[in-house]
Amino acid sequence: MRWTAQDFSTFTLSKEYIDTVLIPMVPISFDERGKDAASGSEFIQMIAIEIERQFKGRILLLPSFVYFLNFSDQDKKMLLTKWHHELTKKSFKHLFFISSDQSWKSIVEQLKGELIWIPSIPLEHLDGTNKMAIIDNQVKQLLNFFVEKWQAAEDVNA
Amino acid sequence: MSEQRVTRRQFLSYTIMGVGGFMAVASVMPMLRMAVDPVLQVEAGGDFIATTVKVDELTNEPTRVDFQFEQEDGWYTSNVTQTAWVYKDDKGEIIALSPVCKHLGCTVNWNSNKDHPNQFFCPCHKGLYEKDGTNVPGTPPRGPLDRYKYKVKDGVLYLSRRASAVRGA
Ligand code: FES
Repeated sequence: MRWTAQDFSTFTLSKEYIDTVLIPMVPISFDERGKDAASGSEFIQMIAIEIERQFKGRILLLPSFVYFLNFSDQDKKMLLTKWHHELTKKSFKHLFFISSDQSWKSIVEQLKGELIWIPSIPLEHLDGTNKMAIIDNQVKQLLNFFVEKWQAAEDVNA
Repeated sequence: MSEQRVTRRQFLSYTIMGVGGFMAVASVMPMLRMAVDPVLQVEAGGDFIATTVKVDELTNEPTRVDFQFEQEDGWYTSNVTQTAWVYKDDKGEIIALSPVCKHLGCTVNWNSNKDHPNQFFCPCHKGLYEKDGTNVPGTPPRGPLDRYKYKVKDGVLYLSRRASAVRGA
């Protein structure tokens, strides 16, 4: 599901089935790191959208968690703590952040959250078909990751 | 009388306003047309899109076929990628199923779960469908998978932009 009025209605009616939240983490910067930040954002968002397309009925894809690259680690931790807190209050069983920025690893770990970290692949010089092939390939591996996580949770409950 | 004469400045400003008024109308027209376009799109939606698949390559094993087209949606055009599971049934008839689960819309796969061979499996809540798209009772989906319409031209498979619901089950 996406963060749209229509999907939200489905979500309210089928809460017990949509138990997983996915949040892309998107960096902004206007210095020499800007280009990489933009490219990383684009990549992560494309991946997230494709995951949602495959798992529409179980994953709620939220709008991106946006941050500036020059935020201090402390700022980042504070911001993320708030998000994490709000989202774990709700009945979601699984909560995943997805990012290509390594600096989140330890922060998410401290919160006992789950981070999917994928190094970004620059897509700007690729045409549509090649872009899709790369995204497809990355997503395929992630699909198994989700299925395994869901299965593991069921096994625990069983 | 002389006070009543239109000065050069006034004349210019009238003229400019006149032109401005005309320009406003001109720019409203294309916007109106665009606003109406999505309605016209529905009719154009009956178009068939060429896939990269030759009909004589199809077997009785469902294979994944991706096809793309451009879609106008109000002000912008987007690229839509559709997927179909395509095979030939016992009578040699082509079947093109939508992969969108009729429960909550996840993407189903053919033969992907070892406990359910030769069925379509939905990884989200374990929905199951027979090869012809019929939903297996007792699993979450409440109806059969949608089907694309198809056409064959010069040996190439063409599919409709959208899949539509089938009766039954
Ligand atoms: S979305 Fe396919 S079984 Fe729920």
